[in-house]
Amino acid sequence: MLLIRHSNRANNAVRTTSVGGELFVASVVICMIVASFGDAVDPALFGEAGFEFAIFDFGGEFSVLAMRHWHLLQLLLAGAVLGVGLAVLRVGAATVMAALRPADRRAQEKVPIRL
Amino acid sequence: MELDLLSAGFVSALFAIVLIDLVLAGDNALIIGLVARNLPKNTQRKVIFWGTFGAIAVRAVMATLVVYILDLPGFMLAGGLALVWIARKLLTPEEDAAANHAIKAPATSFAGALRTIVVADAVMGVDNVLAIGGAATGSILLIVLGLAISVPIIVWGSQLVIRLVDRFPSVVLLGGAVLAWTGYSMVVREPLLASWFAIHPSTKLVAVILFFSISLVPWYTARLSAETKPLVTLLPAVLVWLLGVEIAASVWKLKADYLLATRSGEYILEAVRWLGWLPLAAAWLWLRERLIQRRQPVARG
Repeated sequence: MLLIRHSNRANNAVRTTSVGGELFVASVVICMIVASFGDAVDPALFGEAGFEFAIFDFGGEFSVLAMRHWHLLQLLLAGAVLGVGLAVLRVGAATVMAALRPADRRAQEKVPIRL
Repeated sequence: MELDLLSAGFVSALFAIVLIDLVLAGDNALIIGLVARNLPKNTQRKVIFWGTFGAIAVRAVMATLVVYILDLPGFMLAGGLALVWIARKLLTPEEDAAANHAIKAPATSFAGALRTIVVADAVMGVDNVLAIGGAATGSILLIVLGLAISVPIIVWGSQLVIRLVDRFPSVVLLGGAVLAWTGYSMVVREPLLASWFAIHPSTKLVAVILFFSISLVPWYTARLSAETKPLVTLLPAVLVWLLGVEIAASVWKLKADYLLATRSGEYILEAVRWLGWLPLAAAWLWLRERLIQRRQPVARG
């Protein structure tokens, strides 16, 4: 029996991991996939396709080529940065959406007005 | 392949080994305790010492062997595929885990106890040693360091490991992801497939998503309803189909490139390549539904 099975939380890690933990591991997995894309793609292809194509596909291939042959520690760091970035975006988007949401019609008159 | 000491590759491989050691560590203390519980006190002490020693010796022999075995053609592929299964098993919650240990009855003699402990450790350590062998990329130094880390975990570190994974269950998820990543790396390093992968680089993209999509199934399906869970099999099915078509095209020397298609036969081939998985997936979902319906009256009865 594995040691981790002694802990109910670890045995059930797919359900008990915190949102932050899941976001971090998911970001690392995304970085692993993107890095292996970079390993699979031949950089010479971009030379043939031309600069115009490279600019057009900026978001994809440039990041893929930058992550060629990355090691686990680099992927963990990149995953952490990506995870933090996504969390900040989520908080920012939630704040903006909350500010844009109109007040309830019934509560309109209860909005405190400072004189 | 020897990595430079303290290079990023070396430290990363060592970190992967430590992580694999943590999540795949077996409970030797429990096994020794269960095996020796009916023996006299004096013999119990001997069993604990020699059992621990035997477990470490077996682990060392297995770790040395795995380096040479992985050099043989085909074993890297088999090991990589096995790691997918190991990662999936790691992430799948075990019901009544305490009852699922290998020891069913206590030993009655010193030799019997020692044999049971060594065999149980060998069985429990296969996945650990295989994963470490894959992560070490053939470096003997990393294998030795891996052993130096796993032995204290075997002997003293069990409570520490349990506390760590209990506080941070995401370590288990990360362990599953690292196992899948190691499995994929082993498959693309397989000498029998290296030249084929070089000619078909796009298959690497399909393979990496396939590896993660199968290994991490227990994670990304954990919160899905029973009705939507079967649909999750569609992604690996599509990827397996695409890989299969690529393999068939290279075996039968078929041209499968939609940009170069000019004749109707080539267009049909392309249609089969991109849409051929649809009837198979529909048949699978239909068959699964029928099997569930057939099982239900039996379950009620």
